[in-house]
Amino acid sequence: MPAASATRGKRKADDPTHEFFDGLAARGHEPLLENASGSIRFDLTGGKNVDHWVVKLKKGAVAVSQKDGKADATVSSDRAFFDRLIQGRENAMAATLRGVLNVKGDLGLVLTFQRIFPGPPGSQRRARTAARRSR
Amino acid sequence: MTGELVQILEGNTFVVSDRAGDIEASRTDPTGLFSFDTRFLSRWVLTINGERLNALSTDDLQYFQTRFFLVPGTGTVYVDAKLSVIRLREVGAGFSETLRILNHEGEPVDLTVRIEAASDFADLFEVKDALKKKGTYANRVEDGALILGYARDTYKRATRVSSSKRAEVDDKGLTFRVRIDAHDEWSTDLHVTAIDATWGGPIGEEEDVRAGHTGKSMTRGLDKWIRRAPRLECSWGPLQETYQRSLVDLAALRFSTRSMPGHSLPAAGLPWFMTMFGRDSILTSLQSLPFTPELAATTLRALGERQGTRLDDFRDEDPGRILHEMRYGEMTAFEERPHSPYYGNADATPLYVVLMDEYERWTGDTKLVRELEYEARAALNWIDEYADLQGNGYIAYKRRNEKTGLGNQCWKDSWDSISFRDGTLPGFPRATCELQGYAYDAKMRGARLARLVWHDEGFADELEKSAADLKRRFNRDFWVERGSYFAVALDPDGRQVDTLTSNIGHLLWSGIVDRSKAKAVVGHLMGKRLYSGWGVRTMAEGEARYNPIGYHVGTVWPFDNSFIAWGLRRYGFKEEAAKIAAGILDAAQYFDGRLPEAFGGYPREMTRYPVQYPTACSPQAWSTGAPLLLLRTMLGLEPLGDHLIVDPALPAGFGHLELLDIPGRWRRIDAFGRGRVQTARSSSGRWELGASG
Repeated sequence: MPAASATRGKRKADDPTHEFFDGLAARGHEPLLENASGSIRFDLTGGKNVDHWVVKLKKGAVAVSQKDGKADATVSSDRAFFDRLIQGRENAMAATLRGVLNVKGDLGLVLTFQRIFPGPPGSQRRARTAARRSR
Repeated sequence: MTGELVQILEGNTFVVSDRAGDIEASRTDPTGLFSFDTRFLSRWVLTINGERLNALSTDDLQYFQTRFFLVPGTGTVYVDAKLSVIRLREVGAGFSETLRILNHEGEPVDLTVRIEAASDFADLFEVKDALKKKGTYANRVEDGALILGYARDTYKRATRVSSSKRAEVDDKGLTFRVRIDAHDEWSTDLHVTAIDATWGGPIGEEEDVRAGHTGKSMTRGLDKWIRRAPRLECSWGPLQETYQRSLVDLAALRFSTRSMPGHSLPAAGLPWFMTMFGRDSILTSLQSLPFTPELAATTLRALGERQGTRLDDFRDEDPGRILHEMRYGEMTAFEERPHSPYYGNADATPLYVVLMDEYERWTGDTKLVRELEYEARAALNWIDEYADLQGNGYIAYKRRNEKTGLGNQCWKDSWDSISFRDGTLPGFPRATCELQGYAYDAKMRGARLARLVWHDEGFADELEKSAADLKRRFNRDFWVERGSYFAVALDPDGRQVDTLTSNIGHLLWSGIVDRSKAKAVVGHLMGKRLYSGWGVRTMAEGEARYNPIGYHVGTVWPFDNSFIAWGLRRYGFKEEAAKIAAGILDAAQYFDGRLPEAFGGYPREMTRYPVQYPTACSPQAWSTGAPLLLLRTMLGLEPLGDHLIVDPALPAGFGHLELLDIPGRWRRIDAFGRGRVQTARSSSGRWELGASG
């Protein structure tokens, strides 16, 4: 059953989720995901529509498709929430505990996958204080 | 925990009740049924005909099972009971309780048996800090069961209370109207299930069921755990008791994550720290490696899975950083606390590489080391790229989460643990000395793994060069000339924080100490100011902040001492290592083989017994692991290729010691030793090994 896409007709620039998955597909290989093998389906709800994305991982190789179907793990949430998640404005673990992100199936796979989400905008490393390296 | 409270647990689910089995928690009172850092029962009170029950005896049958023998009535001197009540409680996903009532009369009795149940669904952090709840409560009766519910937005938790016998259920409890014939009995099974009501399904059930952690299988699992560990024979009886206690407590402290069902790693402590801690899980895995190597494998995998990959100020997360603490409660869910997970520690990341190398040396499991190559490289990269906050090539810490993050990000994490001799506290970032030792060791061990497993000669050379440079600078910059020891830290201006502390023992363990300086360091460790007769104090007598019952400023920590003993062995001070072991193992006797987190730093000849530090956490994982590491140290067990070197130096009081079937890359090997190290023995009335000789 092909799901009606909530993103249809929208420009990609306004659609962080689309951009995220396109970027992921373009990467082809991701060293952070080398220990993950399996498939994750994302069910993202916007109004009455559900978008499906399936990410297949195999030793760092990443393939992305937009379809429904069986997967080793499923992640479901509201589309607006997922947009914030992949921009680093939300944290996947806290959201799972809170109940806004639902993860089913192979949790280890999803735990590995969330490593590629960015940190919160504005977070930065501490500046070094003394800047005086002893030799 | 005081003697009045009884706790049982399984995984991260535990029950703390009074001696009669009842729970009457206030907001700040740490009693109840807890699961995944949330209280699912704050009230659980049994009455018969409106009367409370009186405990005759309470038996902890297993770490997950307790039996309460009760009689009606309280407060009377004489008990002339016509009824006996037995509650057998077992923790799993929630808990189950078999309630038996025996009628000793020659005629039937009619009873109203009532169980009152309620829950405040408090987060553990709320219990600790007495905070108010923000959600709403709703109880209901459904299919003959009582459902206690709590909701805050999408966060929903529930507790289901049901019974095998029909009960009248209202929103505050279950009532049974019972007739028991003469000399007959009545029983029912009560089930309490903790539920994640957002998605449905019991919390913890998935992993508990898959790991076989239910009912009788838990007892079988424990038997198997003990059978698989090496067998100990020793002519000094107390060691047998301590060893058995350690193995059982270690089993109780096993924690499974939902991402790796069926595998477990050591949680930090019972009951408040039944979760993953980077530092505690790693150090306990190191201590127990010769006995239960599977804990180390799971620790490496689970911490690797959750390794930091981004900058996140709230969580003090950096790429490559190993987590500090993971929590699952409401405050973490709503980001009122940063534990999802929180990364604010400066030692777990280098220690992660240390554990990986030590694990490979014992087990030969190069497959896992290959699998975690990315994580190990990221950890090594963190040391130089993200931890050098003073800009001088040393690991230092300063939290970015100023509100709920940790100030001291080393194992001595209390506010006053790091100070100058005059008591002044240094500013941040702080570079404590043991962190530099761990960094040195991580680089050296990383180089070995790079050569052996990752086949990257260039990386290995680079790491060794960097390690040698670190060692050279460290021995110059941290060495306090006046006293001939290493400063506990450098302050943000690069000044030596010159207090004498037990941290210098960890430096020996890491190998960062120049050979020429080792003797002076050992002199301090075994000298009057640091050595109490039971063990090495966290801070030396005579320092401004020294206090024999101050958490990190004078108490003796068994775990600390086990690593110091390992360090002493590393530099060839066998007899001193044996003396440390003797003192700590003597102390263990006073706690029935279960070493507390810390005990007082009073001189041994003054108190004659180790004064326990008042703490709520027992058993504590790294205290449980201490006797294991001490055994390894005394026997001088050291893997060399596919062989295990045995080079014992045991206190004379041990007599004969055998450790049989030590697992490793050699499959199974036995180690034997005889006590030859003389220790001065006092006449305490106990069969003690003695210490300061």
